[in-house]
Amino acid sequence: MTREITYIEAIAEALGEELERDDDVVLFGEDVEEFGGNFGETAGLHERFGSDRVRNTPLSEIGIAGMALGAAVGGIRPVAELQFADFAATAGDEVFNQIPKQPYVSGGRLSAPLTIFAPSGAGIGAGAQHSQSVHSWIGNVPGWVVVTATTPYDAKGLLKSSIRDDNPVFFLPHKMLSETKGEVPDEEYTLPLGESAVEREGEDVTVVATQVMFHRAKEAAADLDLDVELVNPRTFAPLDTDTIAESVEKTGHLVVVDETVERYGTQGYIANEIVENNFFSLDGPPKTIGVKDVPIPVSPVLEQEVLPSVERIKAGIESVF
Amino acid sequence: MAIDEETSRGFLREMLRIRAFEDEIKTRFQEGEIPGFVHLDYGHEGTHVGMSQAMRDDDWLAVGGARLVGQYVAKGVPLGEVMAELYGKRGGSNKGYGGQMHVSDVDRKLYGHAATIGSGQNPAVGLAFAEEMKGTDNVAVTTIGDGGTSRGSFHTALVFASYWDLPVVFVIENNQWAISTPSSALSPDNLSDYGIPHKMPNESIDGSDVERVYETVSEAIERARNGEGPSVVESRVARLGPHFEGDKQTYRDETEFEEERALKDPVENYRERLLADGVVTEEELDDMLEAIHEEVQEAVEFARDSPDPDPETAYENVYRTPLYGQGEGS
Repeated sequence: MTREITYIEAIAEALGEELERDDDVVLFGEDVEEFGGNFGETAGLHERFGSDRVRNTPLSEIGIAGMALGAAVGGIRPVAELQFADFAATAGDEVFNQIPKQPYVSGGRLSAPLTIFAPSGAGIGAGAQHSQSVHSWIGNVPGWVVVTATTPYDAKGLLKSSIRDDNPVFFLPHKMLSETKGEVPDEEYTLPLGESAVEREGEDVTVVATQVMFHRAKEAAADLDLDVELVNPRTFAPLDTDTIAESVEKTGHLVVVDETVERYGTQGYIANEIVENNFFSLDGPPKTIGVKDVPIPVSPVLEQEVLPSVERIKAGIESVF
Repeated sequence: MAIDEETSRGFLREMLRIRAFEDEIKTRFQEGEIPGFVHLDYGHEGTHVGMSQAMRDDDWLAVGGARLVGQYVAKGVPLGEVMAELYGKRGGSNKGYGGQMHVSDVDRKLYGHAATIGSGQNPAVGLAFAEEMKGTDNVAVTTIGDGGTSRGSFHTALVFASYWDLPVVFVIENNQWAISTPSSALSPDNLSDYGIPHKMPNESIDGSDVERVYETVSEAIERARNGEGPSVVESRVARLGPHFEGDKQTYRDETEFEEERALKDPVENYRERLLADGVVTEEELDDMLEAIHEEVQEAVEFARDSPDPDPETAYENVYRTPLYGQGEGS
């Protein structure tokens, strides 16, 4: 049985179920108590689980991320919330140098089973420091498992898996999707990390996309006279390239759309993996589409200009033929 | 706090062990057997030993600052494992992945150093938080140098520890130099003053006196264990060596440096004190040193004999696999 709930409700359910299931799970971040999180993702959890398990922190991402690392090494499973994914940069040393590397430099002696929860993405006019998609930043540092969520189904299943995984996981919901609805099972479920999902089968072209870009690519595909196969990577690091390669083997064409900037973004990495390892599956050069190489501007007109639109995605798909 | 003679002898033995081990590291480094660079702890032995002897085995030590080897030794990591790690060998505490900056030993509750100085204090607060959540009365002790107290991350750790009243003891080992920048140029009279705005108990002590360190840190740990929250201790020592082996220390006044060596050597001073008080005899000392020498030589042999890591192991330990749910299908 399924029911239709919003993406943010799916996230709140995942958090609530994992807090309920495992006493070692602790949620902390700025304004996660009565305020309920910036997008409503922690609404009701403080009331339900109390001040030990759901904790407000002072305003410092350094403290939130650094403390999560120690707490995880010390044997609990923290879910540490950053209000915006951009704030990964304000905890730069913790995010880039400490968390992903401590398990490795310890020769595997330490494990850090923590989840950083950080809403990402553009589209709400939040400006250059509150709208970035950071999965290329984070995915660049080996040691992080980088997960995005595209639908309510993904959001719930992947967040629960992220909390249960023994690695540090950077979980990136997209703030523009908060109120979108989708089918979510009534029963408890999780989704595997590190596996891409073929969301729509097709014969002519493989389009790889997540989050808002996935929904735009789906819209573009519906408008085209082409049989588009849609692949949702779900996890950016480590990346399941096998599923993408199998798809390209079938279709012969590849388009990668993502909300990271085109310069050194995830699009280039995914396309390169296929070009280098599966070149002869391709009937033509792949196409990469991303945010233009500028900071995200505030004006809705400017913001939509730099984000890949349905039209740009359509044109990109057509361009590979 | 009365310190019995056996405890005193134990303090001295531990300090002599660190000193002898590091003398050997210095020689092995000069002979080209140890890759990279090394920072030695000359002048810090009293603070390392006093602090670690105040701890229980199940208290966390999150090491910081740049003077690390003595802290690993004081927390109980076998000399052979530390030496092999300095050599980058498979028998090292971290199998050659970490080196002198990252010796970690979860079983001994030693948290690996944050080599970006000052980033280890927030994890230490997290360790204390984990202990509290698990309902133990274990504490976390975390060290930092004078230089590291200028990092915002250190101050954030004070904010977080105090916000939840967590069982953390911040030990600032002020050896007066952040490489070439003198701590006397920093504004606070004592670096423990950084605890004042957080209303934390704070004290500045002579860190070259092992007993003083032991007493002060014991009191701070006792408060933390009893739910009275975090403390800051400034342990003032002299840096009796270069920042790293090979640093010519052109920034230091030679006369002052020689004076410090004569006056502030914690190992020498304590040895003379225990001899003068009749707590140890020359003969006992000789026996002690002989045993230490043997242990150090065994550590060197262990490191030399330990095989290099298999190159393929460079790809291990990045992720714990399988990732959650992999292979179960969706």
